[in-house]
Amino acid sequence: MIANNHEPHLWFITQEELRNWLESITDHATLIAPQNFDGIVLFKPTSDVNEIDWGNSRAAMSIKEAFFPPTEQLMVIKRRGAEVKVTEKLFKEKQVIFSARPCDARGMKVLDSVFITTEPEDSYYSKRRANTTLIGLTCQQMGATCFCTSMGGSPSNPDDMDIMLTAYNGGYLLQIVSEKGRELVTGVNLQPTTIAVEIEDEIGRAPTPQIGDWPPRFADDYWEELAERCLSCRICAYVCPTCRCFDVRDEALPNDDGWQQFERIRCWDSCTSEGYRRIAGGHNPRDTKAKRLKNRVFCKFYFYPQQYNPVACTGCGRCIDACPVNIDITELLQHLTEVVYANRA
Amino acid sequence: MLTEPKENPMLPYLGKLVSVKDLGTEIKFIGVELLNGGSEKFAHYHPGQFVFLSALGVGEAPFGIASTSDRGNILEFAIQRLGSVTTELHELSTGDTVGIRGPLGNWFPLDEFKHKNLIVIGGGIGGAPLRPVIQTVIDNREDFGHFTILWAARHPSLLVFTDEYDDWSAAPDTELHLTVDQPDATWDRNIGLITELIERVAPSPENAITITCGPPIMIHFVNKMLTEKFGFRPEQNFVTLEARMHCGIGKCGRCNLGEKLVCVDGPIFTMKEVGGFLESFI
Amino acid sequence: MPFEPKIVAYLCTWCSYTGADTAGIARLKSPANLRAIRVPCSGRVSPEIVLRTFDHGADGVLILGCHPGECHYDSGNHRAAKRIPILRALMGFAGLETERLRLDWVSASEGERFSHIVSEFTDTVRALGPVRWQVRGNPATAVQDDRSANPLWGAHQSSNSLIPADKLAEFADRNRKFTESIRLNASELLKSGRVHCVIGYETGTHARTRPAFIWDASEADRLVWNQECTHNLTLYLEDALNRKNQESERKPVVAVVVKACDERTIQVLLSENRFSREQIHLIGVACDGIYQVEGSQGNDENQEFALQQKCVDCEQRLPLSYDTLIGEAARQSLAEQSLVPGMGVDSLVEQMSQTTPQERMDFWLSQFDRCIRCYACRQACPLCYCPTCLFERDDSLWTGMGIEIDEKRTFHLGRAYHLAGRCIGCNECERVCPMSIPISLINHKLAQEMKNYFNYEAGLAIQPSPLVTILGGEERLP
Repeated sequence: MIANNHEPHLWFITQEELRNWLESITDHATLIAPQNFDGIVLFKPTSDVNEIDWGNSRAAMSIKEAFFPPTEQLMVIKRRGAEVKVTEKLFKEKQVIFSARPCDARGMKVLDSVFITTEPEDSYYSKRRANTTLIGLTCQQMGATCFCTSMGGSPSNPDDMDIMLTAYNGGYLLQIVSEKGRELVTGVNLQPTTIAVEIEDEIGRAPTPQIGDWPPRFADDYWEELAERCLSCRICAYVCPTCRCFDVRDEALPNDDGWQQFERIRCWDSCTSEGYRRIAGGHNPRDTKAKRLKNRVFCKFYFYPQQYNPVACTGCGRCIDACPVNIDITELLQHLTEVVYANRA
Repeated sequence: MLTEPKENPMLPYLGKLVSVKDLGTEIKFIGVELLNGGSEKFAHYHPGQFVFLSALGVGEAPFGIASTSDRGNILEFAIQRLGSVTTELHELSTGDTVGIRGPLGNWFPLDEFKHKNLIVIGGGIGGAPLRPVIQTVIDNREDFGHFTILWAARHPSLLVFTDEYDDWSAAPDTELHLTVDQPDATWDRNIGLITELIERVAPSPENAITITCGPPIMIHFVNKMLTEKFGFRPEQNFVTLEARMHCGIGKCGRCNLGEKLVCVDGPIFTMKEVGGFLESFI
Repeated sequence: MPFEPKIVAYLCTWCSYTGADTAGIARLKSPANLRAIRVPCSGRVSPEIVLRTFDHGADGVLILGCHPGECHYDSGNHRAAKRIPILRALMGFAGLETERLRLDWVSASEGERFSHIVSEFTDTVRALGPVRWQVRGNPATAVQDDRSANPLWGAHQSSNSLIPADKLAEFADRNRKFTESIRLNASELLKSGRVHCVIGYETGTHARTRPAFIWDASEADRLVWNQECTHNLTLYLEDALNRKNQESERKPVVAVVVKACDERTIQVLLSENRFSREQIHLIGVACDGIYQVEGSQGNDENQEFALQQKCVDCEQRLPLSYDTLIGEAARQSLAEQSLVPGMGVDSLVEQMSQTTPQERMDFWLSQFDRCIRCYACRQACPLCYCPTCLFERDDSLWTGMGIEIDEKRTFHLGRAYHLAGRCIGCNECERVCPMSIPISLINHKLAQEMKNYFNYEAGLAIQPSPLVTILGGEERLP
C-alpha cells in the first residue's frame, strides 16, 4: 500500500527511453547496475547498458560498496629521510546507482547516521554519498527471506531514493523524490501520468522485541546454542547493507623516485571474526562464538539505536540466504519475542 | 605537508620525536612536538584523553597521553612494545616523524574532584595516563584533599616514572606507596599484589575519589576490594578502560562495551557505569 | 628495448650461493638479470615466498639447493624437492607458465653448472616474454570482461547432474528410515552415557538443513537425514570435545554423523593428532549423494534436484571407518549406476588443465575478483584449524589486509597449497562461498598432483602427508 503522504506517481517512462537515459548517464557518471556474474547478481559499474540484469532477483551484495568500499585508500604517505608528505585521497567521481531497492537505500540511511550525522563527519563516506544519485526500483513482491516491512520499510517505499521506478505496462512509473533526482531526469522524455499503483505489503514476517526488552536477553543461554554452528566467517556482515566495521592499516607501495610510499587503507571487517577484539599482547574479550554472535545481534537491535538512532537492520534477508549454517535472524527475533511475552505472562 | 587537517578526522597531524628514553623493560617514553598543525586542538587537552599515534608505514594505535598541557606543549607517551605498531615506534629516534590524531575521548572530571581526597592506583604501564592526573594535582595542590598514590608492577623493571617518585612524595599531604609482585635483589619496599597494598593502606571512602588504571583484571579486583572491604560506592571509583580501536572517533564500531564506545563515551568511566554495561569489560 | 627478464634466485648459502662465487671467481659469464637472495637452505623457500615474488613482478623464480643427500641440514632440500613441483602445478593451474619456476641442484664447487643453469633459465624466461601474473599496477593482468571468449566460463556450472524423478520417492523412503535409525542411535548413545554429545543434522528455516548439537537424549528427535546434509560436521569436533562435561569424570566422547567423504577428514585429523580415536564415535551413513544447496532466495516449488559435482564421480559410498552404520553396506551409488549425467570435479579439472595459461589466468582472475574475502571457505574447512591464519596475521608478510584481487588470489592459492595432501574433497569450501567461486577445483587439482607425484591420496589411512616427510627410498624424486 502506498502511504497517504506519498506523492502520486507523476511520470511514465518507456523501457527504451530508460535505456537511452541510462546510456546518457554513462557519459558523465559511473553507472552502477545489477549484472549477472556466473549466476550471481551484483551491483557493479558498467558502461554498457546491455550488461544490465533486468530480472527481479535481489543482488547478492548491497549497494553499500559504492559508498563504503571493501578496501579504500584513505591517504598516501611518502617518506624520504626526515621528510614526510601525507596526501588525502578523497573520492572525486560521480556515481549513479540504477535499480537500488528500498532495503538497499534504507541501509544507506542507517549508515548516514554513523558516518555523517554523528560527529565527526567521515569525509570519505560523505563525499561518495554526495556524489551519488539513487534510482530505485519497487519490488513487485517480497522474496522468501525478505522482512523489510518488519523493519519499518516497504517494497515500494521511495523515501530514501532520489528517483523511484515502478514497473508498469512495459515501462516504468517514475517518481521524482529529491532535487538530485530532479536534476538527473532533466531532458529525459517522460510522460505525465496520474496512475497510482497499489502494492500489497506483507507485514508481520519478523516480530521483534521492543528496544527496552532487549537488555534482559543478554544473559540468555540461547546465544550459546545458536552460536554452536556459527562458522565465525564474515558473510553476514559483508552482505549486510548496514554493517560498517572496518580495520585500518598502512601498507607499502612501490617506491616513487627516491620516496618510500605507503598507503593507509581501511577495509571491511566483521565482529564475528575470531580475532576482532584481540589486542597486541593476546587478550581477547570476545573469545567465544556466542559472545560474538550475541554482540552482533545486540549491536543491530540495541547498541546501534542507542548510539546513532536507527535500528541497524533493513530486513533485506541477505544474511539468511547467505549464511552457510542457517543462522536465521528472523528465527532468532521470533524466539526472543516469544521469550519476552512468556516472561510478561 | 598538510596544515590543520580539521576537515578529515582520519588525517593525522605530523609530529617530531624530541625525546626518547627507556622507562622500563620493553617500555619507552617519547616526547613529541607537533609540526604541521593541531596546536590549537592540543593547547588544552585533559588528563585521561588519548591520541592515535602513527608509526608511518606500519599503522596507528591508541595511546593515553602521559603529559599535561599545563606543563608545556610537548606530548609525552609511554609505549610498551607488544605488536607491529609499538615495535616500529621503538625503532624510532629523536628527529623522526610520527602521525598524531586527537585529542580523543573523554577525561577525568578533575573539577568535580576538587576538595576531595584522591587515591590514584596505577598498575604497570597503566600508570601512564595517570601521570597527568598526578602532575595536575601537584601543580594545584590546594585544590585537592589528601593525595595517595599506589603504584604497582609485576617487577621493579616494569615500574614506570621511577625518577619522578621523589617529586611526587615531596608534595604536601601526599603519600606514595610502591609494590611489586616479584622483587629483584635491590628491592626494599612492599612486595605483593596491588590489592594487598590497598588493604594495608586502608583508604577511607569519606569524601574520596579513586582513579585506577591497569589491566582489566586488576581493575576488577581493585574495585571489588574498595567496595566490599572499604565501603567505597562504585560511583566514587573512576577507571580508564582500553579496547582494540581502529578509528578512535566512533566510526569503525570495534571498541564497544555493550552500547558504550570506549573511544567516545570513554575511556574514562565510573565503576557504577561499568557495572551497568551489558557486556563485561574483562 | 628488447625484453630482459627480472629473475629472482633463491640461493642456498651452503652450495649455490658459494657456487655463484665460484662462477664469479672463474670469470664465467652469468646474465645480469639475476637478483640473488641468500637463504640458509632451499627448504626455507616456502610457497608464500614464491607467490609473493611473482606478485611483486618477477618474470622468473629460480631456486637452487644442494644435491639430495648433501643438505647441510640433512633433509631441508627434500622439502624443496617435494614442495616446488606441487607449487608449480598450483601456479600453473592459476595461469602461470610453469617454466617460470625452476628448482635445481648445485654444489659449492660447481661454478660452471651454476652459470649454465642461470643462463639456460634466463633464456627460457626471456623467450616466454614478460610475465602476466602481477595484478597491482599492471594493466596486462586486468580482469577481462569478455567472458564469452573463454571456454572455461560456465563450464564449471554446466554440470547440472539432475536426479531422475523416479529416484526421488525412493530417496524419501530411505531418508525416513535413516532419520529413524539416527535418532534411535543418538538417543541410546546419550542415555547410556557413552557419548556426551551427538553432532548431526536438523531441519532449520526455509526448508534448510543445518548442523545440530544434541547434548541430551530428549533432544534426539531433532536429528534428520536427507539429501541436503552437506555440512562436514567433523569441523565441530574439537569444540564439542573441549566443552567440559561437568557431570562426568570420564573423558568426553563426541558422536558425529559422517558421510564417506567426511570420514576421510577424520583420518587426516587423527594423523595430525587433533584428538584420539577413542574420543569420537562415528555414525557412518551410506550416502546416495548430496544435492546442490542454494540459498533460499527464489525457492521454486517445481525445483529440480541436482547432485553436487563432487558426488557425481563418487564411488566410495561407505565411510572407511565407523562405529555405527546407517544404511546397508552393499548398494551402488547413482554415479555407479550411471544414472546421473554431468561432469564430476576431477573431469572438469582435467579439462581445465588442457586450456592455455592465459585462459586459466583470465578465468581465475574473474573468479577472485568476485571474492569478498569473507573467509567462509577457510572457516568451513575442518582442516584449516590454525589459531591465527597465516594470511590474516597483523604482521603478515605474505599478503595485505585489503580485499583487492592480488591479495585474494594469494590467499586462495596459499591456502590451497597448505591443504595439499590433506584436503579430502568435501568441497564445503565451495558450497559455502556466497559468490559461487569454484574454489574446490584448485584443491582437486592438487589432489591429482599428489597422486601423480607421490601416489598419495589423503584420508585413506592414518599417515602423514608426503609433503611433511622426507624422501624415503621407495618414493621417486618428482
